[in-house]
Amino acid sequence: MATLTPFFAPAGGGGFVNYTCYGTSNTPQGWDAGDWPDILLNISPYTWASLGIVMALSLSVLGAAWGIWITGSTLVGAAVKAPRIKSKNLVSVIFCEATAIFGVIIAIILQGKLSDISVGENDKAPSAICATLFYSGYSIFWAGFAVGATNLASGITVGISGSGCALADAQDPSLFVKILIVEIFGSALGIFGLIVGIIMTQNAQF
Amino acid sequence: MPGKTLLLSQRPGGLATFNIQDGFNEALLRGLQLGFLSDADYRSILQCENLADVKLNLQETDYGAYVGDVAQISPSIVREKALEKLVNEFNLLRANANQPLSQFLEFIRYDYMIDNVMLILKATLNNPNVDVASLIKQTHPLGQFEESVFNSICAFENSPKGYAELYQSVLIDTPIGPYFARFLQEESAKVSQDASYVQNLLEELPTTKLESSLRKLYLEDFLEFCQGLGGDTATIMTDVIKARADATAINITLNSFGTMLNDPNLRESERKPLYPSMGFLYPEGTDKLSQVGDEMELAAVLRTYQVYRGIFDKHQRGDKTIDDAFYEREVQLNEMAWEGQFHYAAYYSYVRLKEQEIRNLVWICECIVQRQKDRASDHFVPVFSREASYRKR
Repeated sequence: MATLTPFFAPAGGGGFVNYTCYGTSNTPQGWDAGDWPDILLNISPYTWASLGIVMALSLSVLGAAWGIWITGSTLVGAAVKAPRIKSKNLVSVIFCEATAIFGVIIAIILQGKLSDISVGENDKAPSAICATLFYSGYSIFWAGFAVGATNLASGITVGISGSGCALADAQDPSLFVKILIVEIFGSALGIFGLIVGIIMTQNAQF
Repeated sequence: MPGKTLLLSQRPGGLATFNIQDGFNEALLRGLQLGFLSDADYRSILQCENLADVKLNLQETDYGAYVGDVAQISPSIVREKALEKLVNEFNLLRANANQPLSQFLEFIRYDYMIDNVMLILKATLNNPNVDVASLIKQTHPLGQFEESVFNSICAFENSPKGYAELYQSVLIDTPIGPYFARFLQEESAKVSQDASYVQNLLEELPTTKLESSLRKLYLEDFLEFCQGLGGDTATIMTDVIKARADATAINITLNSFGTMLNDPNLRESERKPLYPSMGFLYPEGTDKLSQVGDEMELAAVLRTYQVYRGIFDKHQRGDKTIDDAFYEREVQLNEMAWEGQFHYAAYYSYVRLKEQEIRNLVWICECIVQRQKDRASDHFVPVFSREASYRKR
């Protein structure tokens, strides 16, 4: 097993920004300190948490923007021959926008969980706190990813159905409400991520 | 000519990526669907006693702006105005198009360019002193060239040398030049093999052979381009073009009866190369088609293909002409091609369906002028109709 010691903190635990986690108990049995599992131990939980917040926001915004692009370009084109659709179909754009708002909400909630930790004696965190830190870091990271990915998919879905909605409305106004229901179900996909993301990080605390 | 494989960034893409380039343009096109005449429009036009009434009815439709200021209305003016509308809409789409959509739209125009060149050539061959200006009026505006091109075509001399000159001096600069070049190449390859046959054939059937060859090369090229585009465009256009290739092959066979092409010695060497090398009939169906010598044999070959059996039955029973039977099939396919979103086939089907609508309109007007309204349904193939025969099933 290749040793990565030169690149990382000294054996026996991660050197975080302003404190060090306790002793060799973090290194799994059978692994020497400084082996590659130490990479994970040497990444600060704050990094994971921040990445989670970034993904929750950026993937959601990406999905929303993509959806608005798909819907918006169709809406503008379809409104040339049927101008009456233009205000009604803004609802589709708003549905896409909602996926970005879900991302913003989650990002704000998640970042509220970040705070400076109270450091133990000699700038060393007790191992119990270490476990909480890792739990919090990972749960915020994956909650962020869950929210981001679901909202990305949801945004594109709403965009595509919104595009169909604009075209259908231009031909036959009675179709508008029916396709709007499809959009609402597409939008619900993002809410699933939102709910699960909140539950995942319920116990996360720095 | 575009190559077989396009880069990913040059393809129209699918559900999630199509709108990046073509979202606005496609929605424009879909909006134009509102302009098709409805069943109710046709019904009220069919009740008209004279063309002035037709004009009044048309003013209620999307054609209103075009027929409104026409003083004297006639079937040919209806055609002219309807074509003008189609061309305006097409130009709007073309002006908003990026590659590869613009290339796709150009491909749609090549079809009409071939029609126009053939129209002028045929007229010139029949009557060398024909009035060019009146001919140009008959050409299809979607396949328009500059007037000088048409004038030069009229100077055509019917000989193998004449063809070469026609190509070198006129058609080489037009988009359909490459098809003409390949036609000449294939012919000259044959001349070296068997000079006398080809000589006779070119003299007797110059236009039939030229037209079929150009159409064949065009369809093959178009299909290759569409397949390079990938996605739904490739899937749908393949079916539509294949159906057209089959119609072409069957028509070539049907029209060859009683001409030199039906000579048992020439069927294999001259008639078979005119069939497009694609389609649902290709290759074993076209193999059999190349052997048939009369309508009975043709019917026997087509009996194994359900769709074409139905079409040919209509022709043989005399219910419809073979052209109308194929038009009906084409309208059905194009309406289906229109159904999906995020593909280019809708552009093709729009132009073809509009063409059919214009044919319907002109035919109905003719019937009203001739006071033979009972014949109006003879060549009438409604578009996007609730009452189409294939919807009633």
